[in-house]
Amino acid sequence: MPSLRIDQSDLKCKNGCDYFGNPQWQGYCSKCHREQLQRQRRAEKASSTLPKPEQKKPEKSFKVTSHSSFSKFEEKRLRQSETLKKANLLKFSVFKKSSTEDHDHVAEKKQAEFKIPAIVNEGMKRDFRLRFPNLTPHIDRDSRLFAHSFIMDVIKHSNILTVDELSERVQRQYQLFMKHMDTSPHFVNVDSDTKELLIDFVEKHSMKYLHELPSVVFSPTGTDDERLDRVMSERIQQLSWVCETHLECKLDRNSASCRQLLYKAISELLGMDAALSPGGKVARVRRACKHVLALCGAPASADDLLPALIFTVLKANPPRLVSNINFVTRFCNAQRLMTGEGGYYFTNLCCAVQFIENLTSESLNMDKKEFDCYMAMPASIGGSAWAAALSLCGASREAEEQMLQVEKLIAHTKDLKDKADQLANNAETFEKEIAKKVQDVLAKTPLEIKPRRELPRLGSLKTSTSLLVDIDAEKILIEKSLQESTQLGSTESKDNNSAENFAVEIEIPKIKMDNIKNQPATSFQEEIDQNRFTDTPKIQHEPIITFSQTPEEKSPSKSPINPWELKQTNSLELLTPSPLGFTPFDSRSIDELMTPDDFGSDQVPGLSNVNYDIDLSDLSGDNSLAEDTPRDQKDPFSPEPKKLYPFEPRNPFSPILDKFDEFTLIDTKTDQPSDAFEVVHRASSSRDPFSRDINDSFTMEKDGSLLDDSNSPTSTCLLPSPLLPQSSKPN
Amino acid sequence: MKVVEAKIVVLGSQGVGKTSLVVRYIGKMFSKHISPTIGASFFTCNINVDDSRVKLQVWDTAGQERFRSMAPMYYRNANAALLVYDITSTSSFAAIKGWVKELKSNVPEPMVLALVGNKCDLESCRAVSHNEATQYATSIGAAYCETSALHDQGIDQVFLSTATSLLKLSSTNLVSSMRSYDSVDGDERLPIGTPTEETATHTGKVELPAWQDNRVAHGETQRNMCC
Repeated sequence: MPSLRIDQSDLKCKNGCDYFGNPQWQGYCSKCHREQLQRQRRAEKASSTLPKPEQKKPEKSFKVTSHSSFSKFEEKRLRQSETLKKANLLKFSVFKKSSTEDHDHVAEKKQAEFKIPAIVNEGMKRDFRLRFPNLTPHIDRDSRLFAHSFIMDVIKHSNILTVDELSERVQRQYQLFMKHMDTSPHFVNVDSDTKELLIDFVEKHSMKYLHELPSVVFSPTGTDDERLDRVMSERIQQLSWVCETHLECKLDRNSASCRQLLYKAISELLGMDAALSPGGKVARVRRACKHVLALCGAPASADDLLPALIFTVLKANPPRLVSNINFVTRFCNAQRLMTGEGGYYFTNLCCAVQFIENLTSESLNMDKKEFDCYMAMPASIGGSAWAAALSLCGASREAEEQMLQVEKLIAHTKDLKDKADQLANNAETFEKEIAKKVQDVLAKTPLEIKPRRELPRLGSLKTSTSLLVDIDAEKILIEKSLQESTQLGSTESKDNNSAENFAVEIEIPKIKMDNIKNQPATSFQEEIDQNRFTDTPKIQHEPIITFSQTPEEKSPSKSPINPWELKQTNSLELLTPSPLGFTPFDSRSIDELMTPDDFGSDQVPGLSNVNYDIDLSDLSGDNSLAEDTPRDQKDPFSPEPKKLYPFEPRNPFSPILDKFDEFTLIDTKTDQPSDAFEVVHRASSSRDPFSRDINDSFTMEKDGSLLDDSNSPTSTCLLPSPLLPQSSKPN
Repeated sequence: MKVVEAKIVVLGSQGVGKTSLVVRYIGKMFSKHISPTIGASFFTCNINVDDSRVKLQVWDTAGQERFRSMAPMYYRNANAALLVYDITSTSSFAAIKGWVKELKSNVPEPMVLALVGNKCDLESCRAVSHNEATQYATSIGAAYCETSALHDQGIDQVFLSTATSLLKLSSTNLVSSMRSYDSVDGDERLPIGTPTEETATHTGKVELPAWQDNRVAHGETQRNMCC
């Protein structure tokens, strides 16, 4: 074991035995460290389950079989795989113990027995099923059993054998398994190719696990691998000035494809360190060489391959290169390494490394002086051109990846856009359908309830709003809406436009209001009649698709149309609903004026304030609609599930409706009482036919909910009845 | 059917046509059948000789002088070597002698050697006489062929004779690095129509155990591995 290191005494085991220590093992040799750890663990388990990192006095002992140095490792994995373990207790029962068992027994045992984490077994099982779905479970079991005994054997002997001996032992194990496959009845039907795959499989899984254990098979203790790694890495760095011309390989630095291939080859070479099993490493090398071959152009001969590969290695400077190569040569299935494509390319890599190690001025066909000059040059200076090209390559590759991502995103957004369009279309068609239905219903409408409702409402409207204030439900709604609306209201009073920005729904009605005010009452009715059927769909479209646009786009000329339509329907319905909306607003203003000072002050003084109030009432109407009759809204839509969403945009309708009904009335009252009255009258007169239709339509569509609502108000009192129409209006 | 797996290394100076030789052979192989293997530096091929099959793994080597020192890594565990020289260049022929010496001293196991004089289409520029080459070939126990990669002459012969010699060599059981086995144990690439089940029934032993016994005998005698 002892090798010629520079400061041997320092490297020796703290314990004074002849073996070397390892900083990983707190300066002890593997055995002493193991001993110590074991004792530590025992003590810990005796006292408590918590592990403490204390060091205890090392004792000399050379027991080979205990391997508690790995137990920490193993414990971690055990914890992770406890559940798996329990499921898999059948196999290797000796080594598999639940953690509780472990705690109980270890104290009694003199030596903690090394256990292979169940995850290895589990992973093998899964992989086997994946790769050899046709093979019998016997083979699966055999291979796993072998892998297990193989791992145990290697670990057992890792401390007493030199690396070469261990390597030999490993190779013998492979042969044993081969023999087993040839003789065991389980493998009778397995052809030789599959057998090779199986041995690769076993090698992969067992070495994968062993590779993770520190200093067992990968750059094992007692070898110079780590130091050589460093030396090699430094040497390659020093040789970074070597470029393609020195090696006489035909590489074009300026060709993008060439750079790309080189980059790929390099990344594969770098990936070799990440691969855990020798087979995996060889596979990496093979892939790297494939790229290098492509780099050389076809048909690439060995004359081209080797220099190009040397160049690639120089540029890649793979981490732990020597360790990796040694690991593969020692523990890869020799059969595999001597023959086959992987073996060939791995041999080439070994050659490249050897070439780099022994590289002289002669091997580069250059003057000795020049060579020395290059070598004396700081490593950072050389090879900047290729380094730049490669970093460029890396960057461009990154850019490519990002481009791909962007393309994906673009496709995604397109998809989304299409879906959005579809949704909009759906909404449109839905609205049209609904409008049609409404119209149909309107056509069929006989309104019986009207007379009852109309009479009180009309009277209240004409006489005074205060009469309607009594409704409690409305007040509550109004109060809620007030908080929301106060802000909007204040802005609205100043600028209609600003209000529009805040909420499309609210704005539309306002505009309508203004227009209504300006326009003569006669035109109002006319427009209503004209627009009802034609315009209604349009109105619906705008709010649904784009809220923000609608207010801005709506020129005064357009806006009146939309509101009118809404108003028409509303006005038709107004007979019942309008008083509701209106009365609550007034009632709120009166009652609540006391509490919110600003609000009250605004309302009292000016006509503009009056408009305000109207808006608020509208909002309350909306809220009341939403809150009071959620069922109503859902019910009509429920038959058509897709249209549920489009329905929400409709809310604009409800405000519009409210505004129409009440605003027109209110505005007329406040601003131009005479006109307003006239309008109201007209509306009321027109209402009779319309209102009937509306009510009928709602009842028809909303059946249960509407009916219930309508029933309740009618049964309770006249006042509540207005609520129902409001709810129905939005729909 | 007996199957032998062997590794062939192609040696020779730079520019003698190692690669074109190999490429020519592969090219023909590809056009015929068999899965293509990318790259001319390494390829595998199966050659049927009589009743047996030889799986050849051909390793091309870099011919440059500067890589000369790496050659041992290539020809390690090789069972055969194609020694290629250029009949128009005496130096390439002289280099062969160096290769042979090296092989003799570095390869412990018996090897099949094949001396290949390439570029025989350039008869007018011949620098190495046929006689000289034949003499040398016999002196080292190698087969001698003259080939032209350009005109595709004699290349098949080279590989065929090598395969035959390998078969002979394997029957002597002297070479541990060469893998040979009876294909009764199921080689996928057996010619169609001779499924393994049939051979089993021929022996009159349908039961699995009997079958095993057969296989064990073959496997144990012939499978060896070298580290």
